[in-house]
Amino acid sequence: MGLQTVEIREALRQALDEEMARDERVFLIGEEVGEYNGAYKVSKGLLDKWGPMRVLDTPISENGFTGLAIGAAMTGLRPVVEYMSWNFSFVAADQLISNACKMHYMSGGRFNVPIVLRGCNGSAAQVSCQHSHCVEAIYGNLPGWVIVSPSNAYDAKGLLKAAIRFNNPVLFLENELDYGDKMDIPQDEYIVEIGKGKVIKEGRDATIVSYSRMLKSCVAAAREMEKNGYSIEIIDLRTVKPVDIALIAASIRKTHRCLLVEEGHRFAGICAEIGFQIMEHCFDDLDVPLERVCQRETPMPYSKVLEQETIPNPERITAALKRLFN
Amino acid sequence: MDHRSRAWENQPPTRLEMMAIGRDKSFFTFDLQKVIDELGCDALLAHLQKMLLIRNLEIRGEAAYQNGKVGGFYHSYIGQEAIQTGCVAAAGDQHWYTTTYRCHALALLLGATPNEIMAELFGKETGNAKGRGGSMHLFTDRLLGGLAIVGGQVPIATGAAFSIKYQKQKGMASFCFLGEGAVAQGAFHESLNLASLWNLPAIYVIENNHWGMGTAANRAIAVDPIADHLSKSYDMRSIRVDGMDFFACYAAFKEALAVVLKTSRPILIEADTQRFRGHSISDPGQYRSKEELRWAMERDPIALMKTVLILHNMLTEEEFRKMDLEQRDKVLAAVSFAEASPWPSTVSLEEGVMAP
Repeated sequence: MGLQTVEIREALRQALDEEMARDERVFLIGEEVGEYNGAYKVSKGLLDKWGPMRVLDTPISENGFTGLAIGAAMTGLRPVVEYMSWNFSFVAADQLISNACKMHYMSGGRFNVPIVLRGCNGSAAQVSCQHSHCVEAIYGNLPGWVIVSPSNAYDAKGLLKAAIRFNNPVLFLENELDYGDKMDIPQDEYIVEIGKGKVIKEGRDATIVSYSRMLKSCVAAAREMEKNGYSIEIIDLRTVKPVDIALIAASIRKTHRCLLVEEGHRFAGICAEIGFQIMEHCFDDLDVPLERVCQRETPMPYSKVLEQETIPNPERITAALKRLFN
Repeated sequence: MDHRSRAWENQPPTRLEMMAIGRDKSFFTFDLQKVIDELGCDALLAHLQKMLLIRNLEIRGEAAYQNGKVGGFYHSYIGQEAIQTGCVAAAGDQHWYTTTYRCHALALLLGATPNEIMAELFGKETGNAKGRGGSMHLFTDRLLGGLAIVGGQVPIATGAAFSIKYQKQKGMASFCFLGEGAVAQGAFHESLNLASLWNLPAIYVIENNHWGMGTAANRAIAVDPIADHLSKSYDMRSIRVDGMDFFACYAAFKEALAVVLKTSRPILIEADTQRFRGHSISDPGQYRSKEELRWAMERDPIALMKTVLILHNMLTEEEFRKMDLEQRDKVLAAVSFAEASPWPSTVSLEEGVMAP
């Protein structure tokens, strides 16, 4: 099977293009997705190829176009909504929360909402308090949808294709700073299954569970620990909800130590949830209490010195790993 | 000159008809005789019967609520029956429809049975949404809800209109009902902008019952009449219709649908109406004077339609009473059905959160 070297943005573009070719019900809607070719160029060339009925530039009207896409999904189409950033989804929170994630249940199973909502999540480079939110814990509190957050080009393409074929809403979280990350991926078509995590580095002594951009810092911290003879296993969740607790439990049964890392806030965060699930599933396999590294309890400050301190960084992750062995 | 005085020029108007003429605002004008001829006696009686079924269902639903059989919120459609009945009579039931929490009537008109609606109110397994939705969330194959955040249904309906256009479905439109209170929501304005911008076959119907819960429309909405003002902002046509008059509603929706299908442009309708109850069952409506309520109830859409049909020798008082009793019996049978139906299995609680 031939390989191609692509950036994450190109992997996402290929997923959109392939699924639009495969299913004429699939369309892309959002701000600047068409003539501008996407704020981050994920949709480059798609308007020229598929035309304005399938690649729709919207007004700055997230509540309106999100609801429109949900209505379209209920009536036979398969929309992909691009948020220029997930921060802007808050304007559409009513449509997401009141309609998208509960329509199937509320209607007694009459209506499905096969929709993908995608865009960049979390912090970028000094975009400050209102443009740096991690939304997975906020939206993850609600049943009725899936939350996917790939960390590399291979998973980004395979998971987006799976998300578009999924019959429920999928919140698809990307990262502005990672769009340019390159990777060799197959030239042939493939799918990555939703709900499955992956061990991206095997180890014996402790398990790190994380996802998305934080994995880079986790890998750096694990290498630092290896200098001292510790062997660290790293799990990439890939799907945040539902979480692949079986994979996590299997790893902890081997390592007996676990650190959880997320970019978002500490209180009621993803680590809080997974930590509790670990207690439910494999409490007796833990030799020491869990550790977690999360975003500190501040809005995102502008100054890069402060920004680096509030986001989990390799130093804080390494310190937490060391605590596992004290 | 009012449309009614022209249409009925051969007969002196009764007091009730005078009330039905409405206030000094410019309603949509139409030819009553043409509507009567077009629909014919059988269809007219069938539509009156539907209005009576809605009325009886609401009365018995409220009684069941008072008896502790129905929980949550209960928003009655009593007083507003002519609007959605006229709409479905004019347009048929093969479009997309979306409405508010005040959704019992539209579900009935689009084919939900009294049994399944009453069972849903009772929270039973046999209910319209298997006991998951309740009073505010009824659905049919063509009804996208029963959506209960004020204004939140308007983008959904706009999406259905988009879907019709995307799939090139001929002869179809998306009807969206909302209260005048929803006009203050951004979702409404964003939807109208998108529908106009993209030439979507959407028919937005503001059912202006003059009260957003206990807040009078003129204390909440800056313009009056609403549709005439706001349609201009979005380069849309508007129609303002007497929402207590089945015939006017029928004619207005017929025209609106024809215009939308011909132009593939959205339209904004304002149906002037009155609810005879509070906002919901827990609202005694003390903000509304007795005179206003009495005045509103004298324009009862069912009484008005009955009067016209009697004037045209299509109905007698006796036949009307019989029709009313038949609808009452259907609803009482639905109450019995709901009572006798099983509760949802608690084992099934977590089923249906995700579609297969």
